[in-house]
Amino acid sequence: MTERKVLVVDDEIHIVHVVAIKLRNNGFKVISAENGAEAFQLACQEKPDIIVTDFQMPLMTGLQLVQKLRATEQTKDVPVIMLTARDFAVEDEQKENLRISEFISKPFSPKELLRSIEDVLYQRQLVTEKQ
Amino acid sequence: MRFARNLHLTGSRFVNRCKMATPVTAVLACALIAAGTAVCSYSGFGEYWRLFGLVCSVLGAVGVIWLGWYSLRLVEAITSIAQKIADSGSAERIENEKLNVIRYPLSIVKELTGTITQQLDSYSEHTAELEKHLEDLQIHFRLSQRQKSNTEAIIYSIRDAVIVIDESDRLSMANNAAARIFNFDLNNAQHKPIDELICNDQEDQARRQFVDFLLQGRRSKVRGARHEIVLNISESTEAKTFDCIVSCVYDHSEQVCGIVAVLHDITREKELSQMKNDFVSHVSHELKTPLASINAYSEMLLDDEAADEQMRKEFCSVIQNQAKRLNRLIEDILNISRIESGLIKIEKQPLSLTILIEEQYQMIKSYAEEKNIEVIRQKPIVFDQVYADKDMLSQVIVNLLSNAVKYTKSLGKVEVETQVNEIEKTVRLSVTDTGVGIPEDEVAHVFDKFYRVGANKSQAKGTGLGLNLVKQIIEKVHDGSVFVESKVGVGSTFGFELPLAAAVASAAS
Repeated sequence: MTERKVLVVDDEIHIVHVVAIKLRNNGFKVISAENGAEAFQLACQEKPDIIVTDFQMPLMTGLQLVQKLRATEQTKDVPVIMLTARDFAVEDEQKENLRISEFISKPFSPKELLRSIEDVLYQRQLVTEKQ
Repeated sequence: MRFARNLHLTGSRFVNRCKMATPVTAVLACALIAAGTAVCSYSGFGEYWRLFGLVCSVLGAVGVIWLGWYSLRLVEAITSIAQKIADSGSAERIENEKLNVIRYPLSIVKELTGTITQQLDSYSEHTAELEKHLEDLQIHFRLSQRQKSNTEAIIYSIRDAVIVIDESDRLSMANNAAARIFNFDLNNAQHKPIDELICNDQEDQARRQFVDFLLQGRRSKVRGARHEIVLNISESTEAKTFDCIVSCVYDHSEQVCGIVAVLHDITREKELSQMKNDFVSHVSHELKTPLASINAYSEMLLDDEAADEQMRKEFCSVIQNQAKRLNRLIEDILNISRIESGLIKIEKQPLSLTILIEEQYQMIKSYAEEKNIEVIRQKPIVFDQVYADKDMLSQVIVNLLSNAVKYTKSLGKVEVETQVNEIEKTVRLSVTDTGVGIPEDEVAHVFDKFYRVGANKSQAKGTGLGLNLVKQIIEKVHDGSVFVESKVGVGSTFGFELPLAAAVASAAS
């Protein structure tokens, strides 16, 4: 089975680090970025199977990153999980338009994040097999 | 009514007696004239009878003349009495006057004048009462006018806009604030239809909604209803938010006779509320971020996900650092609260600014080096000692230094210097960077609590508390002053001025 690739995006280096260790310990390949611009470039180059991104980041927010991904042919279908410490919820309409698979609020459990990533990838696999 | 009855009675008696006397005299006179004439003209009578007839005629004529004279004098008497009554204008008793008339029937005339004067007295009294009543009414009217003027003056001077419309949806009253907000001429606005006055053919949806709200309120007889309205005031381009409360005006028969609307400017409250919400949201995010690391690394340790002992130590170190970071943030928030409420413990001592700068530079040194930013610390010529709380002043300096580094791009420069003014006995510390700069319209707000420069929000993290804490410490606790100069794309200079320790000491002594 091909190693699945995860792009982790967060301006908090410690978060990126802990998520990377957890995922690597569970057989994932991890690439990371500290901001949206860097993340977009990596997404186009590396074509990750899934992107885990923070909501609030300098220069380009998580939502802006996803908007850009959905507007680009090569990245429009990549599943996205969003981490957020914000106390307001993103509107359902926005979630639907941007096709964000899941919102996980901070502080989060690395175990649960891993479970969510595996669920999303499994669902994606089922859809791909049906097609 | 009584007067008319009395007059009628007296007049009737008078007329009845006159009726009796005058016709008798008239008949007698006429009879005498007729008899006399007959006797004189009948040739069968002798001379003496003719003479007798002549005498009867003469007597009859005298009787007629006397009757005429009597009638004339009566009329004169009545006229004179009436004139005297008209001239006197008071309750003077006319019957005491010596009227130059025949005595009979003076008693009737007396009765007549008595009744008239009695009634006139009554009318005079009544007139006096009415005059007094009129005077009272005039006084009340003047008082009411004054009260009305006072009330209007109060309403006109209220900062909130007040608009009163009547049952025909026309303007009944408005104050200067209302005229200013809706841009109409107060002198020409009375009784104009309210939608014409406020909407004024403009397409402004907000004004249309406000008018509809007013009219709806009057028709539904609302006792009190609220509506928030955002209006563009003509004198400025900034939109303002108003809280509008309308209430029906009821007359004495509990019918709606109009509606009064009061508009209170809540723009500032809205801004503050928004800033507070932003602050709470931001602080929540800032607090949750280190918590997220603490939580994640703790779980990793518990699940034995650390590959080796070194990694375990690394995890524990992160947990510890993040806990400290959390603590610092909470302290910042608490310090500001404490300073504002005057609860903080202050311990002032003579301190050298240069030494403090060096100490705090060490705190941000690694951060500056990561970004390749040079931090130049100028050494002053004159000893720059101030009388201050060490922890607080250290906080101020580290905040200014870290801000300078945070908002300066890589390979930039930060320069710190102190200048002593020996004449003013003050020392000025300034931190100049080659960073992004602050727009002119935002410079005045940078020291406000929670305030973050819009354009720079995405540049770096911050709670918007750092500079406010600097301001509170320098101004509130140390009687100093903060300053800022900035140019977008060039950089900023932040700093403060404090009295020299020597000056403080001499002032104390």
